[in-house]
Amino acid sequence: MIRASLYIADCSVRNRARVRLRRLREPRYLIGAAVGVAYLYFTVFARGRRPGVRLNRGRTGESRPLADAFPPAFQVAGTSLAGLAVLVLAALAWVLPTRSGLLEFSQAETEFLFPAPVSRRQLLVHRIVRSQIASLIASTFIALFATPFSGLARVRLALGFWALLVTMRIYYAAVTLTRARLQSPVPAVRRVAWLPIGVLLAGLAIVGTSVARELVQPAASVSNVMVHLSRATGTGLPHAVLWPFIAILRPQFAETTPAFLAALSSSLLVLAAVTAWMLTSDVMFDTVAGEGGGANANVGARSAAAPRARSAGWTLPLTGRPELALLWKGATATIRGTSAKAWRYALPALVGVMGLASAVVGANRMRGPASFVSVCAGVIAAAAIVFGPQFMRSDLRTDFEHLDLLKTWPMRAAEVIRGEMAWPLVLVSSVAWAGVLVAALFSGTALPDVSFASRWSFAIAAAFVGPALIAAQFAVHSTATIFFPAWVQIGTQRTRGIDAMGQRLIMLAAIVLSLLVFAIPGALAGGVIWLIFNRLVGDVIFIPAAIVFAAIVLVEVLAVTELLGPAYDRIDVTSIERGE
Amino acid sequence: MPIAVEHFTRTYGSFTAVDDLSIEVASGEIVGLIGPNGAGKTTTLRSLAGILLPTSGRIVVDGHDLATDGIEAKRRLAFMPDEPHLFEYLTVEEHLRLIARLYTVPDFERRAKALIDELELTGKERSLPGELSRGMRQKVVIACGLVRDASVLLFDEPLTGLDPLGIRKMRETIVARGRAGAAILVSSHLLHLVEEICTRVVIMDRGKKVADGTVAELASHAEAAAGSNLEQIFLKVTGKE
Repeated sequence: MIRASLYIADCSVRNRARVRLRRLREPRYLIGAAVGVAYLYFTVFARGRRPGVRLNRGRTGESRPLADAFPPAFQVAGTSLAGLAVLVLAALAWVLPTRSGLLEFSQAETEFLFPAPVSRRQLLVHRIVRSQIASLIASTFIALFATPFSGLARVRLALGFWALLVTMRIYYAAVTLTRARLQSPVPAVRRVAWLPIGVLLAGLAIVGTSVARELVQPAASVSNVMVHLSRATGTGLPHAVLWPFIAILRPQFAETTPAFLAALSSSLLVLAAVTAWMLTSDVMFDTVAGEGGGANANVGARSAAAPRARSAGWTLPLTGRPELALLWKGATATIRGTSAKAWRYALPALVGVMGLASAVVGANRMRGPASFVSVCAGVIAAAAIVFGPQFMRSDLRTDFEHLDLLKTWPMRAAEVIRGEMAWPLVLVSSVAWAGVLVAALFSGTALPDVSFASRWSFAIAAAFVGPALIAAQFAVHSTATIFFPAWVQIGTQRTRGIDAMGQRLIMLAAIVLSLLVFAIPGALAGGVIWLIFNRLVGDVIFIPAAIVFAAIVLVEVLAVTELLGPAYDRIDVTSIERGE
Repeated sequence: MPIAVEHFTRTYGSFTAVDDLSIEVASGEIVGLIGPNGAGKTTTLRSLAGILLPTSGRIVVDGHDLATDGIEAKRRLAFMPDEPHLFEYLTVEEHLRLIARLYTVPDFERRAKALIDELELTGKERSLPGELSRGMRQKVVIACGLVRDASVLLFDEPLTGLDPLGIRKMRETIVARGRAGAAILVSSHLLHLVEEICTRVVIMDRGKKVADGTVAELASHAEAAAGSNLEQIFLKVTGKE
C-alpha cells in the first residue's frame, strides 16, 4: 500500500507541476508568477544582502537559535513553558470540535481505495504518506520566512517544523478516532478509549497542581511569573510528564547541529508513539472517515435519526425587491452555517482584540475595566470596518459557485450585485455599530479629558463613515470578482502556486488603490465642511462631515453596481477558475 | 415561436462546441436533442438558459431576444440541469419560496404543495440539500423549474438519478406540460425516452445539427430500414454504425 501511496503522491506532484507550468502560457498566470517570484526574492533571499540588514549570527557564524527571538523573560522558563502550552493545546483538542485533515479522504480516494483489498489501517498510512507533501511545503515556507535564519539553520528549522506538523496532524487524527470509540456500542472498545484520556488527565493533574502551587506565591513581575513557572515545570514529575510535549519543540530551539540531531531523534520518538496510537485506534474508522469522511462524516450528526435545518426565524415574503430575497438567502446561510466550529476562528480573534486593547490601555495609562471595555469595543469596530469585508465573503465571491443558477434568474445584474452585497454589509455594519456604541458608552472613563460632546460626535461620525467604507469595500470586491473572476478566490476553492500567490498580491494592491479612489471625493467634501465650520461649532462638525462623506461614498457604490451590470452580463462562466 | 435559435455558434478558445445551429420549437412541441458526448447539447441548452453567451447568432425566447431583453426572456424559461446544484443552507421549501419570489409566482403555497406531493418530496420540505440523496436533489431542481408557469422548459438529462417511479412520473410531467402548451427541449441519451415522449428529434454531432424531424422523417432521411427505432437511426445518422 505504501508503494501505491507513493505512486499516487509522485504522479500527483509531477502532474500538478506540469499543469502549473503549462498555465504560465496564459499572461494572467505569467504576470502572477513574476510578481510571486519577485515577492519571494525580496522578502526572503534578498533581505540579508541589503546594506544595513544583517542576519542574526552567533560567534561561530551560525544563525542564532529560535529561543533568541523571544524576550528574556520567556528564555528563563525555556522550553518547559512551551511544553506546558503544547500540553494545554493537546488537552483542548479533546474538547474543541477539531478534526484532522488526515481523515478527510478525497472523492477519488474513497471510490478507488475504499473498495480496494486494503485494510483501514493501511488507508490511514496512505493518508499519512499523502500528507507529507503539504507538511514539507508548509515547513519549508516557515523556514524561508523565519527572519534571523540562514543556511543550515533554515534546514534545521524546516526539519523541526516538519516533525512538529506531522505529529500534530497524526495526534488530531488519533483524538478524532479515539473520540469516535467512545460512541461504540461495544463496551470493550469504549473502555480502551478511556486509556489515553486517563493518561492525559493524570498528566494535567500533575502539572496543574505543581503550577498552581507555584503561582499562589506572589510575583513581582512578569519575569518573576516565568521563573515560578519554570520552577513548577522544570524538575521532577511535572518535567517528566511534559517531556513528550517538550521533545516535539526541542529541534526548533537547538543551537547547534549535534544538539539538533539529538533533539530530532527525541521528536521522532514521540512521532512514532503518536503514530502507533493512531494506527491502533482504527476500530471506528468507518464511522469517522467512511463514505468519504470529511465534513460529511460527523459522528454526532449520524446518531441523530432525522437531522433538520434550524429555523432561520424569518420567512421570505413572496413579493418585494429581489435584492431583499438575496439578503434573506445570505442571512439564512449565515444563521445555519455558523456552528460551534466558528469558535475556532472567533476565539483567537477575541484573544487578539483583548491583547491589542490591553496594549492600548497600557500605553495610554488608562485605568479600570470601563476603559478596557471601551478600547476593546473600539478595536472590534475598527477591525470590522477595515477587515470585515475581507473575511465576510458571503457576497458574489461565494455565490459565483452558483453563477450558473444566478444567470438564469430574471434579475437585473445590478440587483444581483447589490443583493449579494446586502447581507454581509448589514452584518459587518452591525458589528461595527455595536462596537462604536459600546466604545462610546464607556468612553468617559477611557478618555476623561475629552468632552462628552466631542466623544459622541466622533462616535456618531464613525457610525456613518463605517458602513460607507464597508459598502465601498464590498463594491470593490464585487468589481474585482466580476472583472477578474480567475484572480479571485471563489467560494472555499483556492488555487495554489507561486503564480496564484502573485495574483493575490496584485489583487490586494488593486483593492487598496480602488478603495482610496472611492474615498477621495467623500473625504474632500467632508474635509471642506470640517475646515469651514470646525472653528464655529467644534467637534460636532464631524457629524455632518461624516454624513456628507457617507452619502457620497454610497452614491458611488450605487453607481458602481449599476455600471458593473454589462460586465456581469458578459461574464463567461467557463472563465472562472476552479480550485485544485 | 417560443424557442427560436438562429445561426447560433459557441466557441471555447479555438474549439467550436456548437457551429451555426438553427432550431425552432413551437408551443406544445416536445423536441428531443440527442447526440454523442461532446456534440454540443449541453452548451446549447446552457446558452438557451442564459448561462453561456453565444459567440455569434441569436436566441429568442417567446419573442424576447436573450441578448437584449434577457430578463423578460428568462422570466419565461425554466432550465433543469443534469447536475443538481442547490444552495447548501436553504431547505427544499425555502428553495421553492426563493424561486416564487424571484419569478413572482401567484398561488405559491398550493402549487408548491402539489409539486412536493407529485415529486414525492413530502416530509423533506425542511431538509437541507446535504440531507437529501442525489435523486431527491434532482427532484428539487425539477420542482424549482415547474413551480412557475414557464412557457419554455429546458431539460438536460432530466432522468439522471431518479428511481423508476420518479422516471415514470417525470415522463408524464413532461408530456403533460407539453400538452398544456409549453415548448419543451429535452436533451437525453435515453433514446427510448426521447422516442416515446418527443414529437420531434434534433440530432447533433460535433457541434452541428445533422438531422431534424419526426422519427419517421429521420428514418426516411437516414434511409434506415422500415421499422427502425431511434437508436438505429441515430447510429446511422452519426456514422457510428
